Amino acid sequence: MNSAPANSKELLLEVKDLAVEFDTYGGTVQAVRGVNFSVEEGKTLAIVGESGCGKSVTVQSMMGLIPMPPGRITSGSARLKGHEILGRTIVNGKEIRGSEIGMIFQDPMTSLNPTMTIGDQIAEPLQVHRGYSYKKAFAEAIRLLEMSKIPEAAKRARQYPFEFSGGMLQRAMIAMAIACKPSILIADEPTTALDVTIQAQILDLLQDLQKETGMAIILITHDLGVVARMADEVAVMYAGKIVEHGMVDDVFYRSAHPYTLGLKDAMPNNDPSLQHELKPIEGSPPDLFSPPQGCGYTARCPYAMQICSKQQGENTYLTEHHFSRCWLHNSASPNKPDQLYFKEGA
Amino acid sequence: MTDLSLADFQPLEPGQEIHGISRPSQSYWQDAWARLKVNKRALVSLYLVIGLLLFTIAGPWVWTVDPAQQDLDQVSRPPGADRNALIVADYAPWQTEGLSFGEGLKVVGDPTTQAVKLKWDAIPGANGHRIYRNIFPIGPERSYGIPRAEFFDNRVVTFEDRLDLKALTYYYVLVPLGPRGELLDNYEVIEVDVHRVTTIVEAVDRGLIEESANLQIGDEINLDWHPFGTDYLGRDLLARLMAGARVSLFIGIGAPFLFVLFGVFYGSIAGFVGGRVDQVMMRFADFVVALPFLLFMILFKISFGIGPGESGVFPMLVALVVLMWPATSRLVRGQILQIREQGYIHASQLLGAPTRYLILRHMIPNTLGVVLVTITFAIPSAIFTEAFLSFIGMGVAPPTPSWGSMSNEGIKTMLTTPHELIFPALFISITVLAFNLLGDGLRDALDARMRNQE
Amino acid sequence: MSNLLEVVELTKFFDMGRNQRVHAVEDVSLTVAEKEIVGLVGESGSGKSTFGKTVLGLHDKTSGQVKFRGEVLPQKYQPKDYRRLATNMQMIFQDPYSSLNPRMTIGEIVGEGLKLHENPGASVIKERVALWLEKVGLQPDHMSRYPHEFSGGQRQRIGIARAMILEPEFVVCDEPISALDVSVQAQVINLLGELKESMGLTLLFIAHDLSMVRYVSDRMAVMYLGSLVEVGKSDEVYFDPKHPYTEVLIGSNPEPDPKLERSRPSTAIQGEIPSPVNVPAGCRFANRCPKVMDVCKNVTPQLIPLKDVDRQVACHLYQ
Repeated sequence: MNSAPANSKELLLEVKDLAVEFDTYGGTVQAVRGVNFSVEEGKTLAIVGESGCGKSVTVQSMMGLIPMPPGRITSGSARLKGHEILGRTIVNGKEIRGSEIGMIFQDPMTSLNPTMTIGDQIAEPLQVHRGYSYKKAFAEAIRLLEMSKIPEAAKRARQYPFEFSGGMLQRAMIAMAIACKPSILIADEPTTALDVTIQAQILDLLQDLQKETGMAIILITHDLGVVARMADEVAVMYAGKIVEHGMVDDVFYRSAHPYTLGLKDAMPNNDPSLQHELKPIEGSPPDLFSPPQGCGYTARCPYAMQICSKQQGENTYLTEHHFSRCWLHNSASPNKPDQLYFKEGA
Repeated sequence: MTDLSLADFQPLEPGQEIHGISRPSQSYWQDAWARLKVNKRALVSLYLVIGLLLFTIAGPWVWTVDPAQQDLDQVSRPPGADRNALIVADYAPWQTEGLSFGEGLKVVGDPTTQAVKLKWDAIPGANGHRIYRNIFPIGPERSYGIPRAEFFDNRVVTFEDRLDLKALTYYYVLVPLGPRGELLDNYEVIEVDVHRVTTIVEAVDRGLIEESANLQIGDEINLDWHPFGTDYLGRDLLARLMAGARVSLFIGIGAPFLFVLFGVFYGSIAGFVGGRVDQVMMRFADFVVALPFLLFMILFKISFGIGPGESGVFPMLVALVVLMWPATSRLVRGQILQIREQGYIHASQLLGAPTRYLILRHMIPNTLGVVLVTITFAIPSAIFTEAFLSFIGMGVAPPTPSWGSMSNEGIKTMLTTPHELIFPALFISITVLAFNLLGDGLRDALDARMRNQE
Repeated sequence: MSNLLEVVELTKFFDMGRNQRVHAVEDVSLTVAEKEIVGLVGESGSGKSTFGKTVLGLHDKTSGQVKFRGEVLPQKYQPKDYRRLATNMQMIFQDPYSSLNPRMTIGEIVGEGLKLHENPGASVIKERVALWLEKVGLQPDHMSRYPHEFSGGQRQRIGIARAMILEPEFVVCDEPISALDVSVQAQVINLLGELKESMGLTLLFIAHDLSMVRYVSDRMAVMYLGSLVEVGKSDEVYFDPKHPYTEVLIGSNPEPDPKLERSRPSTAIQGEIPSPVNVPAGCRFANRCPKVMDVCKNVTPQLIPLKDVDRQVACHLYQ
């Protein structure tokens, strides 16, 4: 039960033992403390967690977006199609950022140049990486904007970022991210700053683009609703570690880790027949300046045991693709893990 | 993972505080101080600034020399110069009878700062002689130095030099004169090491020794000690630097303090009242900014009129305050406008806080960080402005020392006695640098606090 | 139940200069009964927050009335008006960071209301503050600490204690949980619920999170571009929306249920909320509405009660 499943499929991206630290005024923050995950072609992996759990840092370190110093990748590897990308910018003659992996952010305004038109900004990487002429690149930019469902794309391409609304900017960012046909799109909280109606548009767009281009998506979010809507696989992060990982249905309907359960209980349930109480997770996440010796969730966990405060639990595979990093599921544990499973359909 | 007992799987006692805070409590200022302490440059600057303040305030109690006192024995002396003096008898005119000749140009007796006595033999073919004194050896270019005496009579073969003698090595040149007074080539030169001497009367007069001191002729005494040397009028440079620091720092700290105070007052009213009042007040501030600074300073100084015996410090202070407040007022207004929309202002309003309370309790304390940084940056700028104006002669009036006016005086003798320029210039530079670095550090420390809130 | 708060045709415009003005809130009428929780939902830019602040007098009213227990509140508040109403109405703010003065200790922040009102002396204030800190789930010894030492959720508790210490009857909660993490949101919601029960509070709960509003509130009002489009019982509005906008809003909100999400048809509508400076004529939702009719583009629909359900809707479909 504790053995890792054999890799049946070709993995697009494989991240192993990734750990990232930051030196700050108050001390060293261990933002990511050993993270493993992989992404398959054309699939969507959602990384869920609260603010400060290390989900953004995980992907930023892969993209070389961590300022060093103060940041530091202390261990781990990330292999894209078998090639190590950590600490590199070019793999196989292609730039990772932009060409191999596209990225969109929560706040598109900060990653766009306010003095360049949207069209020029999308065209620029095409000129640089693909050697397109300006005219060809700009025409391609308009096509990409159309793909991102921006109305009047030709006119919009000649406008500046400040003339765009938040939703339109995010579309422009997506157009830019997919310009060089990346195999992975990383979306870091792409809809957090947007209203629900605009969020729905952007999520639809991402799904459509994935169908068209076959790219994999790594979706970073804190919103379980967005996860349910988008993800094939889910990794739940807490205090710099992945505490539960599995197929979306496994994680939602057969939640194993107490944190995942807690998150679900803390959200309003929209079943009209069920007037359930919100069960908050008491307390707040641990201070990553001095992460606890044992499981980071111990202090808030209703099932906490003696061992939890001393030693970090190991990944326990409940099914082939579903693991929970919790002592409750350990074979030596007398507590039956089945009791903790969220009932299907509830 | 090897030996797990059943005990390990017992539920944990619910002893843990759920909303506990482990880190020690720190107020805004404590935290800023902790951050500042880590910043080495800022900390060194802070010590420098404290040292400067001590130098200015406590210095004159330790070094009690009057900055206006002239030490005529030691004019333009660099620091660390030899200051031994031999006690000699009072000056008596030179009796030249009974001198033996026939050895060419010679010094008679000890060459001292009291007098250098020379004798020579008439140079063959000369119709007379001219004596030059030089502080450099005579080279092929034959620059002889300053002419000291001229005799159109070969019978005069002695000369006593008493003019402004210093404890130096002099080169006396005896040049024979032709029939029409032209210089002939066969000169003679003698190197003379002059010793510093003083008489008992003089020494008592200048306060070097007690009247009752039992000193004999031939004893050695020390002249006054000037650790930083003296200026071109023989005034103690250290005492003048301290007195100058008072003027420079008084203007440099007083003016920013006053104009920042006024700026905070003006800006917070404009920001809080808002609307048309704000518009009018800010246009007036723009008007003041538009005044040409230097021209206005000069006009201001002229119209104030500095009478004899006045230092000109006060007009300068007023001028600086009048011209420099708008920047602060704008900054504070911006801050207040921003703070006015913060939740805690609304919350306090809803709790029924009167306007005065809102401003004093919520708004002003939250602008203090910015104001502090502004002051630390305004101080070096004011110090520099004062120095600059004094340097070009538009600042404080002599004899009041200020670092700027001292630099101005020092630049005249920059090549021979550079210390007169270097010391005041160094003080200006270090002070300006220290305040700027401190300001940088403070801004980082206070800003970081702001960032941490996000 | 009698109406505690009655808002009649409240309008708030902001003048931007150059003859432009923001129609933040226009002709909004809403009643809040005693001990009721009314949820106000809308997207950003819908004017829901401005509405809350205008009701409390933090913005001057452009027109319309706010009545509290039948008393018409002033159009423009003076400090004495706030003072008089402080024990009646309070507010909990969205941003737990900017709503606490960083230079004041928690004790000073929470005790501010007492100090400004009864001012019973330092020791009494301290006691009461300690009591309230415990009530909101903090510890009395947090009193001497500063806001930056607390997490978002803890700060929101402090903000709640500050608002509650004068024991108001009516509290506007302006997106009190939107800046918090999911696991902490429920803590704050439950705390508000407990306080509501123990103090008999009436709440206006402003939020953009529909499922949370449904969970929290008795009645729900949906706002779009400065005006109300639908008002009714929360569950009824949520499960049976009448206005097309409400329907879209609820349909767009992804539920944490993968199977439901997979089976649900996409309800995304095109377009974005128009600028409140250039408010379109007719129904404000007309340019995005999937059920738009000709009349919608010219005639502004009124918020009218429906016949057979307890619901008010502003839509030509029902007029």
